[in-house]
Amino acid sequence: MPSIEPNPESTVPDGEKSHVLLTFLHSQSQNALSRLYQRPSACLSIFRFISLPLERQLIMNLLWMESPISTATMSAWVTREGRKAYNESLSTLARLHIVPHSASKLALNSTFKSSLRHAITGGGASGSFGLPADADLQHPSPSIDTLDAYALERWETILHYMVSSGTGQFPARPSKEVLFLLQRSGLMTSMHGGALQITSSGFQFLLHSPHAQLWELLLQYLQIVEERQMDLVEVLSFLLMLSTMELGQEYSSEKLSSTQIAMLADLRNYGLIWQRDTSSRRFNPTRLATALTSSSPPLPMSSGIGVSSQSQGFIVLETNYRLYAYTDNPLQIAVLNLFVTLKSRFPNLVIGAITRESVKKALANGITADQIISYLTAHAHPQMHKNVCSDCKPLLPVTVQDQIRLWELEKNRLKSEEGYLYTAFASQADYEYVLNYAKQLNIVLWENPSRRCFFGSLDGHANIRGFIERRTAGNA
Amino acid sequence: MDRASHLSTIVDLSPAQWTLSGSAPKERHSLDLQSFLSQLLIFLNSHVACKDQNTLAIFGALPGRSVMLYPSTTQAAGSNSADANTYRPFKVLDSTVIDSLSKQVEALDASETEAPVGLVGALTKALCYINRVAALATENDQTVAVDPRILILSVSPDQSASYIPIMNSIFSAQKLKVTIDVCKVYGPDSVFLQQAAHLTGGSYIHLDRPDALLQYLTMSFLPPPSIRQLLAVPTQDKVDFRAACFCHKRIVDIGFVCSVCLSIFCQPVPVCSTCRTKFPIKTLQRLNAARPTILTSAATPTSGNASTFPSSTTNRVATTNGNGPNPNGVR
Repeated sequence: MPSIEPNPESTVPDGEKSHVLLTFLHSQSQNALSRLYQRPSACLSIFRFISLPLERQLIMNLLWMESPISTATMSAWVTREGRKAYNESLSTLARLHIVPHSASKLALNSTFKSSLRHAITGGGASGSFGLPADADLQHPSPSIDTLDAYALERWETILHYMVSSGTGQFPARPSKEVLFLLQRSGLMTSMHGGALQITSSGFQFLLHSPHAQLWELLLQYLQIVEERQMDLVEVLSFLLMLSTMELGQEYSSEKLSSTQIAMLADLRNYGLIWQRDTSSRRFNPTRLATALTSSSPPLPMSSGIGVSSQSQGFIVLETNYRLYAYTDNPLQIAVLNLFVTLKSRFPNLVIGAITRESVKKALANGITADQIISYLTAHAHPQMHKNVCSDCKPLLPVTVQDQIRLWELEKNRLKSEEGYLYTAFASQADYEYVLNYAKQLNIVLWENPSRRCFFGSLDGHANIRGFIERRTAGNA
Repeated sequence: MDRASHLSTIVDLSPAQWTLSGSAPKERHSLDLQSFLSQLLIFLNSHVACKDQNTLAIFGALPGRSVMLYPSTTQAAGSNSADANTYRPFKVLDSTVIDSLSKQVEALDASETEAPVGLVGALTKALCYINRVAALATENDQTVAVDPRILILSVSPDQSASYIPIMNSIFSAQKLKVTIDVCKVYGPDSVFLQQAAHLTGGSYIHLDRPDALLQYLTMSFLPPPSIRQLLAVPTQDKVDFRAACFCHKRIVDIGFVCSVCLSIFCQPVPVCSTCRTKFPIKTLQRLNAARPTILTSAATPTSGNASTFPSSTTNRVATTNGNGPNPNGVR
């Protein structure tokens, strides 16, 4: 089995945790960040990524201050209950180099301050919100529907390719760059130099929300960019600029740097932007790009053909483990197939059941029970929500939720731990003496006094060995 | 914790008051309408900047009427050309507000400039708008709950005639769980708006330095109600709870309350004008006899006087809080 390295960057952003991009920014040098902060659009986007309202409020408080304010004055502004959150906020902002850490005075990073002021008041000559292209009468810019359809098609091609890679079907292949990205991010891997196969982190990826999926791929892209010797700051600021652009507006690529023009091709492959042809000097951001900074509005991918009903959810789950999915979208059906035994299929409806086998198969692929449950919750049919409103029941049937969790526990009956077995003690006294010492260190995993042996964990071995050696040396 | 919030702003645009405010001596940190508007727009932009899903509505209270200057739900499709230097939503917001404002001001007749501003109309419109937004949100998606609040930027003095409609708006706001914040930019403290902020859990700030408006707005009114418990947002230390009488619309220190319908009067009346209840002559005489002594002896207007008057069957002094048919937040 190829080893899958745990990737700290690709963790799911959940409500309270800071956004993956911010985690990425923490790891950047102060120099790179202050270059990034020179652009008003980047500052505005980063400001929106900051997840806690208190942190945003702090920035706003300091934004219009001309001189630094003493920490004592500022901390008088929070109540006692807010003290902890306030200190945490300050340290987050210090890590982003937005509010430099200081014991006595608080002030915004001057670059960040002037850029955010520019962003909010408008004006200036930075041109960081994208140069709009003049209307072209010969080629009218595509409608928003066209853009949505394009983004959706691109994105679903990627996901569909991933989900069906193991099944022997061969749907449309995404472009080579996308495949490389998928392979690099560990979502897919090539077995013995053969065709690409989806990995267990790839399966988990499929169940994430579109927003999280998008950022996961983009962060991988940022890492590849670094290896390609492209300027990371240019790339990041272009992404953040895209996120502040207007959907349906055509932009000109004249003012872009060479790095950013090179990016256009990549982003076209991911479906973030639309271009008439590869040499076109104008581009349209799609909804994938303009929704980068907003957290909740769904990206167009869940809409599919039967737009409105599916964007709300399409899964009905009953207490008898039967599942009805009102969809004709091959991608959604393929994702469901990961953990549901599908029984019958109609033009707009798929019927299946959640069974022990189907869930075990998903678990074997590395999908966790929580991911299954959160996918079902996120895509529940409005009809299921209705029941919740009337009598305060949980969204999914409790029996099914519990059973999925139990099936997961079944898998975890055995737990392996590395360690050392200590045997052949000369006397009971010796044995007890060493065992006591090991117990004090809290490293005993198993013991058997009648046979005079015990099992200690790996990290305690050095201590035990040292202890025995010292004792035998003392006795000798 | 991090939810989208809705802000309805009500701007008091009384030409007379703004002229006074702008012409005040510089040492007193005066603020004219132009710099007020630019600081206000920056504040509104900041609100939109905080979260993509934040919504905004702006209402103007003009002499004798009230208008909606900007709703963020129905956006005017890009009539003005995009600009590479400005975030587009900000540009749309700013230009829409300024355009509709100048249109309204041009339409003003010279004769009406002295008329009192339609604050109540604006407040009612804001509440209706919030109600509609909330209803739409629950209809479309159960998970999105708006966190609504109203910010009133006031320059005009109280109009005692609008006491009853303002109180009724306050009670609707309480019911809708809308916080009302008040920023008194110019002029004396407003009794009714203080009560509005107090009763809905908002804050009332009288600006000491109107020229620093933006900093006041940012620090006190930008945080959504959900995080205010973490912040020491200034609240008023004393609230003027006086009410206006129903007969002459005067703000009264001591009033007489109809025991049937809780209407407030500035002097004892034989027949309640609201519910037509007749009061015995004897009680009227006693109350009339007691009036001057109360006025001189009562140190504070809101102190309890019930003890001096054994509660009669007909009249009682305005010391209790009424939530009856005529809801009066009077203590």
